[in-house]
Amino acid sequence: MARIVDLTGHAGAYCCRLLAEMGHDVIRVEPRRGDALRRLGPFLGDKPDPESGAYHHFLNAGKRSITPNLACTAGRKLLLELVATSDAIVGGQPLPLAQEDILAAKETLVIVRVDDSLPELCAYARSGLLAVTGHPDRQPVLLGGHAAYAASGAFAAVALTAALLVQQTTGQGQVIDLSVQDCLEVLGEQGVIAATETGEQFERRGFRGAATAISGAFRCADGYAMLSVAPSQENWGRFMDWVQDPVLAADESLADEAERRAKKDFVIDRLERWTSSHGKEELVLQSQAMHTPAAPITTSLDLVEDPQLMARGFLRKVEHPQLGSMMSPVGALASLRGFQPGLAPRIGQHNSDILSELGYSTPQQESLLGSDAI
Amino acid sequence: MIPSRKAPTPLAGIRVLDFGHILAGPYCSRLLADLGADVVKVESRSRAEGLGRTRLGPGYKGRRDRSPHMLMTNRNKRSVTLNLKTPSGVDVASRLAAKADVLVENFSAGAMDRLGLGYDDLRAKNPRLIYLSLSGYGHDGPRRDWTSMNLNLQAYSGLMMATGAEDDPPTTVTASWNDYLGALHGCVAVLNALAERTATGLGANLDLSQFESSVASLGALLLASSVNKSVPPRLGNRARDVAPQGCYRCAGRDEWCAISVRDDRQWQDLVSLLSEIPELRDQRFASLQGRLAYQDEIDASIERWTIDRPPAEVEARFKAAGIPAERMRRTQDILDDPASGRFFEAIEDPPGHRPLMTKLPFTFSRSSTAEVSRSPEIGQDTTAVLRDWLGLTATEVQQLESNGVLV
Repeated sequence: MARIVDLTGHAGAYCCRLLAEMGHDVIRVEPRRGDALRRLGPFLGDKPDPESGAYHHFLNAGKRSITPNLACTAGRKLLLELVATSDAIVGGQPLPLAQEDILAAKETLVIVRVDDSLPELCAYARSGLLAVTGHPDRQPVLLGGHAAYAASGAFAAVALTAALLVQQTTGQGQVIDLSVQDCLEVLGEQGVIAATETGEQFERRGFRGAATAISGAFRCADGYAMLSVAPSQENWGRFMDWVQDPVLAADESLADEAERRAKKDFVIDRLERWTSSHGKEELVLQSQAMHTPAAPITTSLDLVEDPQLMARGFLRKVEHPQLGSMMSPVGALASLRGFQPGLAPRIGQHNSDILSELGYSTPQQESLLGSDAI
Repeated sequence: MIPSRKAPTPLAGIRVLDFGHILAGPYCSRLLADLGADVVKVESRSRAEGLGRTRLGPGYKGRRDRSPHMLMTNRNKRSVTLNLKTPSGVDVASRLAAKADVLVENFSAGAMDRLGLGYDDLRAKNPRLIYLSLSGYGHDGPRRDWTSMNLNLQAYSGLMMATGAEDDPPTTVTASWNDYLGALHGCVAVLNALAERTATGLGANLDLSQFESSVASLGALLLASSVNKSVPPRLGNRARDVAPQGCYRCAGRDEWCAISVRDDRQWQDLVSLLSEIPELRDQRFASLQGRLAYQDEIDASIERWTIDRPPAEVEARFKAAGIPAERMRRTQDILDDPASGRFFEAIEDPPGHRPLMTKLPFTFSRSSTAEVSRSPEIGQDTTAVLRDWLGLTATEVQQLESNGVLV
């Protein structure tokens, strides 16, 4: 088990959460008033409070919290003592401590510096992904839920776990530099292929798929479902048996994928008359029963009771002393080992524990906790 | 795969047996290859993977039997051909797995078990094996057999309803976002399992779900819905903690500039820059609270200024005023800009053709990453891998070949 000092902003927080999901000791270092992530809504219970931010609760789950005052020498000294017992430090650029001081405290440390100097939307715009997110002829849009930060955090976790492996075998640490914008840029590689190799039109497609003529979001009685028809004639026949639309069934030319592409708007309009009188789950279950790819277009509320997530143990009921009972996602990596990360820490919740681990006696702790240092 | 003259790569000496197909599996094993692992892709000439997946336009200058997507995901790997429809083919695969550190596969649940290549089949011979499955929904649960594709995971994970503004229809990104996310999670799981193996001597069965990887990337929204019993508002391009933030229409067809005002000082700078729009001087907008409340009005005013100016000018003027701004770039803009594309590198494949390859988007100060090499010809390394990993002689390989095992 590695010890990771977590000084990240939003862009790197998912990296450290992934390490916590795998059982590592992740210590979040934050100011006494709590870090910015705590003040980002939505809030659990809809009450704006640094102890109830949803991003804080999810991204800091399984971590410990300590609040050294980095504005004073004693606080910085304390952080360096913590660094000396750690294997890695993950933070923004620049880090709040000088690199030579960090390396003097622990020469073999892995240091990850996540450059998040651009706001998420600006990094997304610069990366090329904004141009392909959204609906044609409308404003392009940032991925929701700060998913772009989760992706850069996942890349940071790849780099960090690779460097921890090197550290384990060679005893050497190193510095890793990564920026949100570069992570997003490389995730646009299919756009690079389109622009340089195939000449495909890579553009915003709203909710229509590109692989087959008839694929995408269809309006249902209670939302939307993703449905698609594979190109073969046989698939169209099976689809028509399911849909039972007399107008479409009468047009034999539609058995041909190219014809369907040519008459796409008409076909989709007819199909939506049918789908809009059915529930999304019902349609998806029927489509899957025919081994045709389909999925409900869910909101986060739909997922709270998702049967697949519950059966796999990805969603678990947890009791929070202040917030009560909630369904909590354990995470994709914790799910692999049947592990459930602990609750996100309160501000400075582990100050005493960590001071004890660093060898501070009870009187020493009391004097530190009463000072500016923490 | 290619040993560097510089520092060693993190995964030097690690062997990966790659049964990946389409994208999530191959992208994950590509990350491992870029980190220096010896990745051996198992394929078959009868079911050549990665062809036909792309409609190659008439302008495509590469080899038509090697699609650009295949070149991108399979570079830095070696290729062996095995006929897994024959018992001998499965036997060779199983013997390769006995010598591997990591196995990556992304078939639907149960497919590897039916071949006799599931984790339980292979663990007995190689308890150190780290076995990564990257199926759509995981190997258990009521929906394990659901067929999945990228757009369906964008839908089911909640991403399409989290993206866009309130009352917008579901909204996608034109990229295989969820394949990448699943692969990144898979790569982290494998790297961590390699470190754990050093301590325990034991491998791991990593039954990762792409669906869960995507849902986890939006975990905070799910948690909020669980407690509040409601769907958090969709923000479009706005943010909860800064305002104004948005994409503003500029001169030209489908041209936009993203602008994000982080604090009151930047807001005052914006008001000065856009001095010809007096409405922005409204005192209601001086505080973040006010700007969040009146963002519709503010956005309309800002757009009156941006709409007649080219995006590059808007970006430059805002940046000069110290306000974060980036125009919407298309891929070609990135390729044309020397300050972007730091992690793209061209290789020659085939001779005279230079497709761009995407590298790992980070730098190590001490380790190196693998040099980008061209994607293997199908089966080009069969003899070498059977020799290196299994110690087979040329005669033994020929025997397998003539029995139709290596096709």
